[in-house]
Amino acid sequence: MNWNVLIPELVLSLGILLVFVLDLFSDKKHYRALSILSALVPIASLISLLFVQYPAKALFDLFEVNALNLLGKAVLYMLTSLVLFSMHDYYKKKDSVYTELSYLPLLSTLGLSILVSSKNLLLLFVSLELASIGMYVMVSLLRGDVLSKEAGYKYLIIGSVGTSMLALGSVFYYASTGTLFFREYRDENSLFMLSMLLLLSALALKASAVPYHFWTPDAYEGAPTPITGYLSSVPKVALYFLLVQLLGYFYHLKQWLVLVALLSLLSMFYANFVAYAQRSVKRLLAYSTIAHAGYFLLGISTVDPYLQKALLFYVSLYAFASLGAFTLLSVLEKKPGFSHHMLDYRGLFKEHPVLASLLALFLFAFIGIPPMALFVGKLGLFMGLVNTLLLPLALAFVVASIISAGYYLRVIVSMFLEEGEKRFPPTKVSGGEALTLLLCSLFVVLLGIFPHLLYDLIRI
Amino acid sequence: MENLLSLAIFLPLLGSLLVAIVRKEKFSKFLSLGISSVVFLIVLYLFLNFDWSAQGFQYRTKVDWIPSLGISYHVGVDGMAISLLLMTSLVFVVAFLWSLKVEDRPNLYFALFLALETACLGVFSALDFFLFYLFWEGMLIPMYFIIGLWGHDRKVYAANKFFVYTFFGSIFLLLGLASIVVYGYIMTGKLSFDYLFHLSFSYPMILQTAAFLLFGLGFAVKIPMWPVHTWLPDAHVEAPTAGSVVLAAVLLKMGTFGFVRYSLPLFPDASKYFIPLIFFLSVVAIIYTAMMAIAQTHIKRLIAYSSISHMGVVTLGTFAMDLNALNGAIYMMVAHGLSSAALFMSAGFIYDRVHSYHMDDLGGLARYVPKLAVLFMISGLAGIGFPGLAGFVAEFLVFLGTYKNFPVWSFIAGVGVVLSAAYFLYMYKRVMFEEETISEYRLEKWRHLKDLEAHHILSFILIIASAFLLGLYPYPFIKVIEQTSRYVLGG
Repeated sequence: MNWNVLIPELVLSLGILLVFVLDLFSDKKHYRALSILSALVPIASLISLLFVQYPAKALFDLFEVNALNLLGKAVLYMLTSLVLFSMHDYYKKKDSVYTELSYLPLLSTLGLSILVSSKNLLLLFVSLELASIGMYVMVSLLRGDVLSKEAGYKYLIIGSVGTSMLALGSVFYYASTGTLFFREYRDENSLFMLSMLLLLSALALKASAVPYHFWTPDAYEGAPTPITGYLSSVPKVALYFLLVQLLGYFYHLKQWLVLVALLSLLSMFYANFVAYAQRSVKRLLAYSTIAHAGYFLLGISTVDPYLQKALLFYVSLYAFASLGAFTLLSVLEKKPGFSHHMLDYRGLFKEHPVLASLLALFLFAFIGIPPMALFVGKLGLFMGLVNTLLLPLALAFVVASIISAGYYLRVIVSMFLEEGEKRFPPTKVSGGEALTLLLCSLFVVLLGIFPHLLYDLIRI
Repeated sequence: MENLLSLAIFLPLLGSLLVAIVRKEKFSKFLSLGISSVVFLIVLYLFLNFDWSAQGFQYRTKVDWIPSLGISYHVGVDGMAISLLLMTSLVFVVAFLWSLKVEDRPNLYFALFLALETACLGVFSALDFFLFYLFWEGMLIPMYFIIGLWGHDRKVYAANKFFVYTFFGSIFLLLGLASIVVYGYIMTGKLSFDYLFHLSFSYPMILQTAAFLLFGLGFAVKIPMWPVHTWLPDAHVEAPTAGSVVLAAVLLKMGTFGFVRYSLPLFPDASKYFIPLIFFLSVVAIIYTAMMAIAQTHIKRLIAYSSISHMGVVTLGTFAMDLNALNGAIYMMVAHGLSSAALFMSAGFIYDRVHSYHMDDLGGLARYVPKLAVLFMISGLAGIGFPGLAGFVAEFLVFLGTYKNFPVWSFIAGVGVVLSAAYFLYMYKRVMFEEETISEYRLEKWRHLKDLEAHHILSFILIIASAFLLGLYPYPFIKVIEQTSRYVLGG
């Protein structure tokens, strides 16, 4: 048994156990220290990545590490750590500090970390469930809040549908190929196609692509805001790192491109139009996530190294921008009475110039304005689509991007150019939140100016 | 010497960061003015040392930036670029000088203008598509906030319209860039965003046509050409004075610059194929918007429409496929930069003092602000192409060159010149003379109207002296510009 391959996951598991045990014996007053400790666990895993010898396999070849999925794990750990650093103060303000807070995100990340290394549908199923169950609980953690409970419930129900689809897809896969391992399978029988459809649907559900997106706006809105930040960043990165690796087994099917293109077009246009109707900025960002799912899916429409490199770059940076944006929202939410309604954002720039500027930075990044790094991702996707002669998709991407600019701008207009009517008490940015915001904005800007620092690491 | 160009480009950005960090009003103002002056001197030095007898780009710097995508930091200038850089850096000095008395959030104001200056200088110097696009889009955010935060009543509407229009155009430009880069990759197996690398290709007609249209849409929005021009009057009317000055003088030139730098040399066959379309749009712009200008009662809106009309002359000259016409078009970019800056300064000054842009509220101003009356007149004459001023040389060359190959188009477009004299003189009469419209109330208010102050006069002198210099002694400037024209037209 090659334990070396599993070092990061083992470190993470030990960390979870440690936090769990400490949690059993500590008072409520130690929760802050506990949350800092839990935020350090993914950093330890991140460091342990350096000791992994790759490429290699373990667990009877169910689990594989290579340069690509190690990079994915590195991004996952960084994001998780930032989420954990940023959330304690929020829960304290909401008077909802529970013991589970410290290790639930770690558990989910453990699931996602195994997910990106899965070479077998069984492991994929188990790891996805491990991640999902943690997320269902996290979403409903504001126990006194009806919206949070509703969100958790809805997420659980729809998530279970995804689970069933994944299970059924796996069964069909087994029936057609005779194995649960991913492997080249050229026989285009209908059972195999059906399994592809179901597996893709299950993953599209987790990625919030239309028409499997119904849980997204409600779960995002109802969840505690730092958890929304987690939902919009960490699982997305894991899913796309996985999808890029799965692409090789399915893309030869003619229906793959049609399905992916359909999912992507629906997501881009539906979400971008519906986002205009939103009055809540948090919900608006949820729709922005759905639209981005559409953009990202373009990256797996066909096999092309530039396309996939651009996708992974884009999704990684998107995760940081999205986490930054939601962290900002959670900082603002600490003001009593702040509801994320567009009106609450009016005149924010005058009250909190730095916070408003940072949110504007993230929103401009979503639009894809240079020098923000998401622009490089968009450019790469464009080039990949043109390179693979998927011109209609490239054009649709352009049009959707233009449409999206309007609703992001509306938030910026509210913050900068309109006068606030309501007055809220001031809010304080905790050390953890400041760290998260600083790193997210730095990544988004610096990797826009020096994208090769990450781009060259993505080896496909 | 090579690094001087990069220094000039990035010095304002550095200043912008300093201003944002230090947050002292006086420091912001004088640092901005100081930095823009140094940048102007650097560019002037580069201009004076420019070898116009040599072909190609000078003061080039090329450093690998994102090697895996074939992107490099590559800057350099030709005759057109160095002339536009000189005009741009001068206009920014004037904009900062003019804004010395800004009281509303001056730190942010100056930081945004400095960032904008870097973007503008960068667009004219970039020799890498990615870098070019980066600077091209880089002006969007500062200008958006300049209009949105310091503008007049409908500033939010204008800022949004400006953003959405420009972003719309830019995305198509991006698609155009991506398509030729990918073509280069398919043909040579080398992914490169380098302008000079792509210059050596001859693209098939179908790609030329598609890319010309994609690039063209991006440029047309920025110029702006009819019928995608409607954002400009709104943006101008609502923008603060220095914002209008930079918008008219520099940002509009990015589109015409793009046509000369990218469309003509990269897609020569498509450029020839689309001459009738471009001419049609240019002539409609020249005449239609000049007539729109005549119909205005709002002076800033009038000047905005006149800008669109003049930019029509530039596109006409650009696609006339004649050396003189192209020289004239490039000359017009510089000349219009100067005259429109002066005109918007005049309008801005009137608003500062009288708080109205409407001609009905203004008649008879000449008696109270005589210095402005003189400078406003000269600015207007520069705008309408009065002999002795820069615009005349430009228009003369454009029409001379266009007439040779396309006499009918040239004749129709020539009507616009007559119209431009009409709308300016009519406006001038209604704003400065017509004393009989001054009511007792207005007389009382205007009795103590303060004329131009020192920083205003200095701003005007810098601009107007340059316009006279270009109008009276065009030879060296034409020579520098011709270095580009010859090369673009393939000789």
